[in-house]
Amino acid sequence: MYASLSANHAPPALLLEVASRFSPEVELAASGQTVTFSIAPLRQLIGSPHQIASEICRAGHECKLQASLAIAGNPDSAILLSRHFIGVTMVTPGEERLKLASLPLAELFAYDTVKLAPNLLEILLRWGIKTCEDLAALPEKGLSERLGAAGIYLRRLACGTVSRPLRLKAEQTSYTIEKELEDSLELLEPLLFLFSRALGELCHRLRAQSQAARELDLQLKLEEKDTAYTCRLEFPVPLSDPRTILKLLQLHLERHPPDAPVRGFRLHLEPVEPQRVQGGIFLPPTPAPDKLHVTLARIAGMVGAENVGTPVLLNTHRPDAFALTPLPSTARANQPAPEMLRLAMRLFRPALQAQVQLVQLAPKNLTAAGIRGHVLRHAGPWKTSGDWWTTTSWTREEWDIALDDGALYRIYQESATHEWFVHAVYD
Amino acid sequence: MANTLAGLALASHDSRWTKASHLYLAREEGKRAPLELHRLKPFFPNGLQRGSLLEVNGSQSSGRTSTSLYILAESISKGETCACIDLNNAFHPSSLAQAGVALNQLCWVRCNGNTEHAMRAADLLLHAGGFGVVLLDLCGARPQTLNRIPLSYWFRFQRAIEHTPTILLICAEKPQARSCARYSLAIKNRKFHWKGEAPFAILTALESTAQNNKLTSIRPESLIIQTGEA
Repeated sequence: MYASLSANHAPPALLLEVASRFSPEVELAASGQTVTFSIAPLRQLIGSPHQIASEICRAGHECKLQASLAIAGNPDSAILLSRHFIGVTMVTPGEERLKLASLPLAELFAYDTVKLAPNLLEILLRWGIKTCEDLAALPEKGLSERLGAAGIYLRRLACGTVSRPLRLKAEQTSYTIEKELEDSLELLEPLLFLFSRALGELCHRLRAQSQAARELDLQLKLEEKDTAYTCRLEFPVPLSDPRTILKLLQLHLERHPPDAPVRGFRLHLEPVEPQRVQGGIFLPPTPAPDKLHVTLARIAGMVGAENVGTPVLLNTHRPDAFALTPLPSTARANQPAPEMLRLAMRLFRPALQAQVQLVQLAPKNLTAAGIRGHVLRHAGPWKTSGDWWTTTSWTREEWDIALDDGALYRIYQESATHEWFVHAVYD
Repeated sequence: MANTLAGLALASHDSRWTKASHLYLAREEGKRAPLELHRLKPFFPNGLQRGSLLEVNGSQSSGRTSTSLYILAESISKGETCACIDLNNAFHPSSLAQAGVALNQLCWVRCNGNTEHAMRAADLLLHAGGFGVVLLDLCGARPQTLNRIPLSYWFRFQRAIEHTPTILLICAEKPQARSCARYSLAIKNRKFHWKGEAPFAILTALESTAQNNKLTSIRPESLIIQTGEA
């Protein structure tokens, strides 16, 4: 059994206050003008539906609320009756159709729980159907053929046979913790102790809502500065383990420490759906994403973030054009096995400046840092150029030369400056 | 007489222990399928056992880098994620791609010539686990620096990867891990193959001689590394 309170001019907070005296789970409908709650648990506490109705009326009177009350076997019937009939309306289960019979058809459309096509009312009115009784009298099969699922739903609503649970509004969970410190903290370790507790609490909230964090926002209030220290960490995979997040935060703060003692902080985690990956028995193991991210963050702290990642070739003919991007955490696909061993190059970064002696326009002797020798055989030159429309333009002549020290080098001459460089060694 | 019997007993005892250790190794090896290297079959007839340490040594232009990249490509072709610790920032991403390495499954760490960073990065990656092959490239490092690396480092790496599917591949001019390595492939440059005459000559292949020093029963064999130019 469900009770519904409806008032056109009362504030929603007042309706909720009365309803919450009887049930903690209250559905707010019709733009806050109607509240619905279950009275089934009250049967043992208060008594019969009549006694429950009188208790609700007494509570409404105490709160100075002028509203209509309806009690019915399902929430939709209770809402429709409370909105249409003034005073107290009680319907015993199974008799909803009789009570709803006189309701004008437009009432079903004024009820905003379910979105219905706006032209549906016009169609029904053209058919000469004006009340719920008319609609309930129509055969369900025929309505289904003409109006589809919406027709069936409307007919059941008119019959008072729609059964559903209450639509409760979930309480918003905050994923932010703010704290003011009594004394300023200069060292990272005590600050991390506080972060550990805060992150533990935030991750507990995340897990309670089956969520994980993709981003972390940190704001530190500094003692001597007007501006706050802010940082944002983006994780490659959603995380909900406080230790992993704390370690990443520690590594970031070690690399970018605040300039002044900290006297307060604000931690916020951005909730997202956690990543769910179906593992396979025959798939090769891959690094655990959270562990890998911590490991890469540690290495980045050591060698620099610009030196860790996955290489991506850029869409240009410029030599040695690539970018380092974060390691993707998506599922791996099998690649075709290599068919042969391919000769690779090892680059000198930056290229070694060299002195080259030419004989008949071909390199004969080469001298560079750590390299000196007579050219035994050469191939080239190959002229390459590009990006002439930008500042990174290049024009060069490339040669492959085999020296008498047994190594094979790729050298080039800049066309603009006529300077020679050792670009790479074949290995 | 007594000495002879004691000697026989000891010999039988030793042989039993040897057999037991062989059984143990066989059982350990049977747990994971080895990494098959089709183009290096003469040097690794049974593939590379998981959880082992492999060294690839050779001078410049011997083909050590190409061989290392081939092993990376074979591992990645099985769907594994690999890591490459590059001491001197010398790796050429285009060469990696041409060798068959799927770049999106490779983690590249550039150490700017700092050997200590390279060793620490290798330690972190090996302990993180989950990689198919971790390539530690020490080519171009000064011998004095490499000689200062304590042997305990290599034992630590060996302990970190045993009983895991990870293979640690060390590419350097001279052997570094010594007894910790299960495989040691020494490569020597023999000659370059050219096509055509100057000024229209093209480098087509590098021919080297390679030998697995840990399997002395296998004779040195020729290793052809092609440039892809017809």
